[in-house]
Amino acid sequence: MTARAVESWTLEPMNVFVHEAQVRLVLLMTPAGQVLAQSGFSRAVDVMSAAALGAAIMASTAEIAKQLRQPPFAALNHQGERHGIFLGGFTTGRGPVVALVVYDLDVSSLGLVQLFFEQFAEELRAASPKAPVPKQVLAADFERELTDSLNTLFGR
Amino acid sequence: MADDIKTLSTQLAQDPHSLVFLRLGELLRRKGQLDAAHRVARTGLERHPHNSDAHDLYARILADKHDYERAFDEWDMALRIAPNHTGALKGLAFLYFKVGDITQAEAHLEEARGVAPDDESIAQAIALVRGAVRAPAPAPAPADAAQPVAPTPAPPLRASTPAPEPMAEPTVPLEEARVFAGLEGAQEGLLLLDLAGRVLGGALKDPHGQDVTEAVAAYLAGVSQEAARTAKLLGLGSWSGLSAEGPTGHVYLTPPRADALLLVVRDRAVPLGRLAILAQRASHMARRWLEQQA
Amino acid sequence: MTATTGYGRALDLITRVRGVRGAMLVAGDDGLVVAEQLMEGIRGSAVAALAASLANRLRRAMDVAGVGGPMFWHLQGDQGALLVVPAASAMLVVAVTDADVNVGLVRLELLRAAEAVG
Repeated sequence: MTARAVESWTLEPMNVFVHEAQVRLVLLMTPAGQVLAQSGFSRAVDVMSAAALGAAIMASTAEIAKQLRQPPFAALNHQGERHGIFLGGFTTGRGPVVALVVYDLDVSSLGLVQLFFEQFAEELRAASPKAPVPKQVLAADFERELTDSLNTLFGR
Repeated sequence: MADDIKTLSTQLAQDPHSLVFLRLGELLRRKGQLDAAHRVARTGLERHPHNSDAHDLYARILADKHDYERAFDEWDMALRIAPNHTGALKGLAFLYFKVGDITQAEAHLEEARGVAPDDESIAQAIALVRGAVRAPAPAPAPADAAQPVAPTPAPPLRASTPAPEPMAEPTVPLEEARVFAGLEGAQEGLLLLDLAGRVLGGALKDPHGQDVTEAVAAYLAGVSQEAARTAKLLGLGSWSGLSAEGPTGHVYLTPPRADALLLVVRDRAVPLGRLAILAQRASHMARRWLEQQA
Repeated sequence: MTATTGYGRALDLITRVRGVRGAMLVAGDDGLVVAEQLMEGIRGSAVAALAASLANRLRRAMDVAGVGGPMFWHLQGDQGALLVVPAASAMLVVAVTDADVNVGLVRLELLRAAEAVG
């Protein structure tokens, strides 16, 4: 299974999570959709779509929670017939991170994903750079950064 | 017979180093007093470790107690001491017959007949074995009470054993069957595999007689990993076994070593507790077999 | 310890057996906790997720072996054990126990609980 990281500190925890929770796909990104790492994706276009959709969903649910005067949702799960989609957010030394996880119901379960997601978040927190480097992502830079990320993620 | 036992016991008490334990042990065995026979034979064997008849007696008692693995060892030892020991040859033949290794069973019996051509029991045993070849499924051999036409699990077989022309194709490769030689169900309800799901020995058939060895092995690797992880993460320590009741059968899964997995399957008539004992025995044999392969 | 009333009664009978550290009802498909009565230190979410995962794998292997899905299973460790009975409603009744627990007794209570929760 392919696993690549734009930010190398994410790679080991992600590989452990994939192995333990036996999930098919993982995409780690910032809430703005900037990709940090991926596992299991074979096409760049899928990463782009997933990152954009994941970020949008997190933004939408955060807004719903805000309207309800509730803290942001920690995680969302959608269970289909054969696959489950899990989207969860947590904070690291680098800043907030969002993880999109796709799992086969034959192989894994929501319970397993949740169980090892907690550990995943903890390991990422421990591995993340301790002093975050605040970096303003300008709209003009976004497209170039995304392209750079994809090049790294797919070794192009 | 009780008087004989009493007399022999007295003689043995008077001269513990005499060979009278051989007759006493055999009498007790025939009478079904297996624990007493076991004690007598073991004590005698400790005093006469190089006596082939002592090993033969001990093996017969072990076979009666269904401890085929150790019985094999004892008969094997008897043959090492006395290569023409007909009792040991018959014993080993019985064990091979029991696991369906007809070729080896017949080879041992033929060797015994070469040593004792007038022994009627050997001729009968050969007829029985050949009859089993014609029958679709060999039934367990009715062991003669006095001289069981023998059982045993198979570690190193004697290289000198002549292999006659096979009369029937074995249902599984010979080496695989030998992992569990001497245990019931070695070719239909015992399976040894590595952690990647590759079959190392044994075979498995479903209730309809269909061979499901490879398919089950493929699934078991995942079960084993999950069992190990579950035990570890839940603080249960190292897992030693996983038993399960199904509607039509019971299964027992155990790791004989860290790099292997053993499955025992039996129908529901076999209680889980007994299945666990059988699995322990098979696990011991599997461990030994794995060590021999190293 | 938490358990909704009806389920709580079913779990009570299991946890009364000497050597039982906790009992749970688990959604078999999801591996999520439905109800639990656990001693301190036992992570219900971990028990639920792992028991369900192992149950699913075991069921597949047993189906292929031709003996049917498990009606009771027992994972034995040197420091404890996990005993599970699937209930009709795709739930699992789970007990976490000491290693030397009376397995027969726990099995009986698990079967009763499975019947009670339907």
